[in-house]
Amino acid sequence: MIPPDNQIYIIIFSTIFLGGLMSTFVVAMVFIHRQRQAQSRQKMDQMQVEFEKTLRHVENEIHQETLTQIGRDLHDNIGQLLSLTKLNLNSSKPEKHLEARECVNEAIKEVRALSKTLNLDWVESLSLDEYIAQQLQRIQATGFCETSLQSDRSFAELKKEEKLVLIRVVQECLNNAIKHAQPDRIAIRISKNGRARHIEIEDNGQGFDTSKQSNGSGMYNLSKRMETIGGKFSLSSAVGKGTLVNLELPFSV
Amino acid sequence: MDSRFWSAFGNWQTIVLDLALLLGTCLFLKLPKEKKGDSAYWLPFLILSYIAIYQNFGAYTNYNYEFKKAVNAYLGNTENPKFNLWLFNIAERQILAILYLLLIKSWLGPSMKKYVDWMIMIFVAVALTLQISGIELMYTEQPIIFAIGANMILVACGLYFIGLITNENYLQSQPTRLLSFWGTTVLLFYFSLTYIYAVTLLYLYRENLTLGKSLANIKYVMQVIKLCMLLLLIAAPFLTKFFDREPLHDPA
Repeated sequence: MIPPDNQIYIIIFSTIFLGGLMSTFVVAMVFIHRQRQAQSRQKMDQMQVEFEKTLRHVENEIHQETLTQIGRDLHDNIGQLLSLTKLNLNSSKPEKHLEARECVNEAIKEVRALSKTLNLDWVESLSLDEYIAQQLQRIQATGFCETSLQSDRSFAELKKEEKLVLIRVVQECLNNAIKHAQPDRIAIRISKNGRARHIEIEDNGQGFDTSKQSNGSGMYNLSKRMETIGGKFSLSSAVGKGTLVNLELPFSV
Repeated sequence: MDSRFWSAFGNWQTIVLDLALLLGTCLFLKLPKEKKGDSAYWLPFLILSYIAIYQNFGAYTNYNYEFKKAVNAYLGNTENPKFNLWLFNIAERQILAILYLLLIKSWLGPSMKKYVDWMIMIFVAVALTLQISGIELMYTEQPIIFAIGANMILVACGLYFIGLITNENYLQSQPTRLLSFWGTTVLLFYFSLTYIYAVTLLYLYRENLTLGKSLANIKYVMQVIKLCMLLLLIAAPFLTKFFDREPLHDPA
């Protein structure tokens, strides 16, 4: 049994000790908070720089893609129209001259439409759904494969940078499907659940073994890009069973 | 008014508490309608009102000895009819501990709120078990129940501080400009400084009354600081110059 006097000292000491301990704890927490705050700010700055860099890349790539498309359109559409015009003009029949005039008007329309795609202003005027529909229509028009789009318009409201990144990622996914999968059908579904919106890009092409290490960095880049806008990229595929890409973007708070 | 009334209700702790309740009520009534329905404001007001009500009820039991004796007899305490420990145990050591846990919970991130829910459930279960089994009777000292409640509050405070240094929302803010930081700090100090006193209460009054009273004074001072804290929490919308909005505050 401890003598009462000693017990009293223990009580006094314990109270002082607990008070001191708590003070040290709170001061230490404030100190750690300051350190973490500085680290967090540094990280945020880095992320901002990274984000801006990614955005510049995305813009460049969309430009490149657009230029390639313009080249194709110039060759396939406008070139054809102008050749037809030339043929019609060489004819002596008056109705052929009328046809030539129509061809020229058509060519003017095509040139105007193309000129609008040269800068990225179209990104603002076009919704993501409209863009995807255009892309799928283009693929289907080439006769490459059947396409379909189901959308609940969950992506109607997007920031410009989010739209740019999503356009680029969708573009890249479609390119991959066309280049590597040789599908009969490409289907895109746009939907939402409680917290996030989803774009599912599914093809019934060759598919691939996802467990095998790929040499390219395509998937990694797509995933990174989705991360820069706070989204997620996931992919599932199996040999002979097609590929399903899921792009998830949480609703902005 | 007889002298018994003044000795029961006229001590400085009760007067300070009643004044705090009066001020708290005025501040709460002055809040805009949508803030009155917000737990960030009504919960501190509820705690303040609750403390004032049970302390005044405690004073009343001291004033009306017959009533206190009858309640003690009903609970089976015929040995010490002058004690009103049953009220202190239920009101402060049990219900108030739960209210403090709920207050701290309102400052935590969603991932940590569930720990506090579990702590409350465990605390209620343990307190009931200890009392029903007769290990700690309602009308005697309850050091185990107090220790569990106080430890849970200290752990909840720890969870808040962990959130403070890990949660992105808290990392964007300045802790000294957050009332939740000061609130948690006051609770942390209150429960750690009064811990020893609370668990050695009877021993100290038996063995060293002077030290017991000195330690009780620490408790009273801490109680006044705690009341000030509750008033500041209620008055937060009027103090935007000094304090920032809670980063994890969910108005729903």
